[in-house]
Amino acid sequence: MGDRGINAMKLTRLSGSFRRFIGIGLLIVAWQALATFNVINPFLLPPPSRLVATFWDMLIDGSLLIHAASSLERVVVGFAAAAAIGTVLGVVLGWWPAISEQLIPVVEAVRPIPPIAWTPLAILWFGIGNAPSYFLVFIGAVFPVFINTFAAVRGLDRTQVNAALCLGAGPRLLITDVVVPASLPVIFPGLRIALGVGWMCVVAAELIAAQSGLGYLIQQSRMLLQTQVVLTGMITIGMIGFAMNAGMVWLERRLIPWKAGGPRS
Amino acid sequence: MSERKDVQISVRDVAKRFDSRGADEGITALSAVNLEILRGEFLVLLGPSGCGKSTLLNLIAGFLKPSSGSILHDGAAVAGPDRRRTVVFQEYALFPWMTVQQNVEFGLKAQGMPQRERRGVARDLLSVVRLSGFEDRYPHEISGGMKQRAAIARAIAPSPDILLMDEPFGALDAQTRVLLQEEIARISAETGKTIVFVTHSIDEAVFLGDRIVVMSSRPGRVREIYPVELARPRVAAMRVDAAFRDLVDKLWTSLRPDWRAETGDVAQPA
Ligand SMILES: Nc1ncnc2c1ncn2[C@@H]1O[C@H](COP(=O)(O)OP(=O)(O)O)[C@@H](O)[C@H]1O
Ligand SMILES: [Mg+2]
Repeated sequence: MGDRGINAMKLTRLSGSFRRFIGIGLLIVAWQALATFNVINPFLLPPPSRLVATFWDMLIDGSLLIHAASSLERVVVGFAAAAAIGTVLGVVLGWWPAISEQLIPVVEAVRPIPPIAWTPLAILWFGIGNAPSYFLVFIGAVFPVFINTFAAVRGLDRTQVNAALCLGAGPRLLITDVVVPASLPVIFPGLRIALGVGWMCVVAAELIAAQSGLGYLIQQSRMLLQTQVVLTGMITIGMIGFAMNAGMVWLERRLIPWKAGGPRS
Repeated sequence: MSERKDVQISVRDVAKRFDSRGADEGITALSAVNLEILRGEFLVLLGPSGCGKSTLLNLIAGFLKPSSGSILHDGAAVAGPDRRRTVVFQEYALFPWMTVQQNVEFGLKAQGMPQRERRGVARDLLSVVRLSGFEDRYPHEISGGMKQRAAIARAIAPSPDILLMDEPFGALDAQTRVLLQEEIARISAETGKTIVFVTHSIDEAVFLGDRIVVMSSRPGRVREIYPVELARPRVAAMRVDAAFRDLVDKLWTSLRPDWRAETGDVAQPA
């Protein structure tokens, strides 16, 4: 015990987080080496050093940020619409079985259609610009939100609802203070998944139906034969997606403190 | 004896059937139940598990509707749950997303009481159930006994006419259980509220009740009603009174056949 024990603990923790980067480090070194010795064609797969330089240049001249900002704006709008409509629909259908019996088959029929398959219709309906991207993000994100909300409301603890009713809760208080918070631990992971799906959808939409954004950037760069920009765009997409997920996980911990541990009630 | 009975809840010829999804015609949980609950009394529903105690309590609360018969509260039919009859559940049913304080405030918020005012009322109630200092904890951060105290405070907060308690101490360890029995005896004496208390513990029934309604199963019905001739407030020392022991023995004898049936021990006659 004592100092040495604590130091040893720190050391193992340090080497633990270090070990996580060994794999990715080795990959980058090998990739760089293969390019340097001309084993892989640097046009088809530019080496990491080239990507870092490109990333830096595009960061400095602002082009990367402008494209990222367009993509983010689209995902935020589409996701917000999906979150609002998905939760309302989930609560309504979860609460009134008579309505859900009619509508669930419709939902289940539409849900298996991949969001990308909606692209032609989206362009037909909304033209080129932000609108088709909003729509495609919405289509991709609304189902995970709806499904989780619906399941959460269906799985409500009847005793908790009864408790609220006998304490005099009216419909509004019941929804805002009982149904929604009781469902939040199930709804929130749905929102997180929806944001991830939405992010994929916005990039897919921009490949075809936009004049800006990270998807547009990689598509344009492919036509200009700038493979290093394509990869830089892809890496940026990955990093932003990772950050959004981490942000949602953080938000989930903040918003649902009672989930921290222990059994329910 | 001769004074007019002040009936608060009247259960009239109530039956309750549950439709089962199976082929048979469902379960008759209660049949021909008649019961009058007097204002201010502590009424205990006692019987083996499955005899319909919770069903009767849920009917009185308004969570369920009788299949036939009627339930009147001060002469008017019970149409659904309302805050004149609040419930304390065995599994607490606290809202895990609210602090203890917010849980207790819930019924007051439902009435539209301003936040400042309800904060004061909830704090006073939490001190009545000896939970001062735990206002800002979440339910998962406190013990089972404390959860049930919080649930009792929450149920008293909207000033109900009647407190309905469904095996409230059933999930607690023996020591906590005895402490909370004394606590609820004290609260009942101090507030004078009508309490309907479900239990399958004979000791608990005798310690707490003014009257004990013994129920029997299949179908659930009221078998007998025993008055408890012990002074109020009930204190721990009464558990060794001769009157206390006598009534416990009497109830044991009365309930033994039912319990034998429940454990499948029917081969040997009593
Ligand atoms: N919602 C329900 N659906 C079907 N059967 C039920 C339901 N609730 C209770 N029962 C049945 O009614 C009977 C009485 O149950 P209950 O009132 O919970 O008894 P107790 O509280 O005395 O243990 C039992 O046979 C039980 O299986
Ligand atoms: Mg029960």
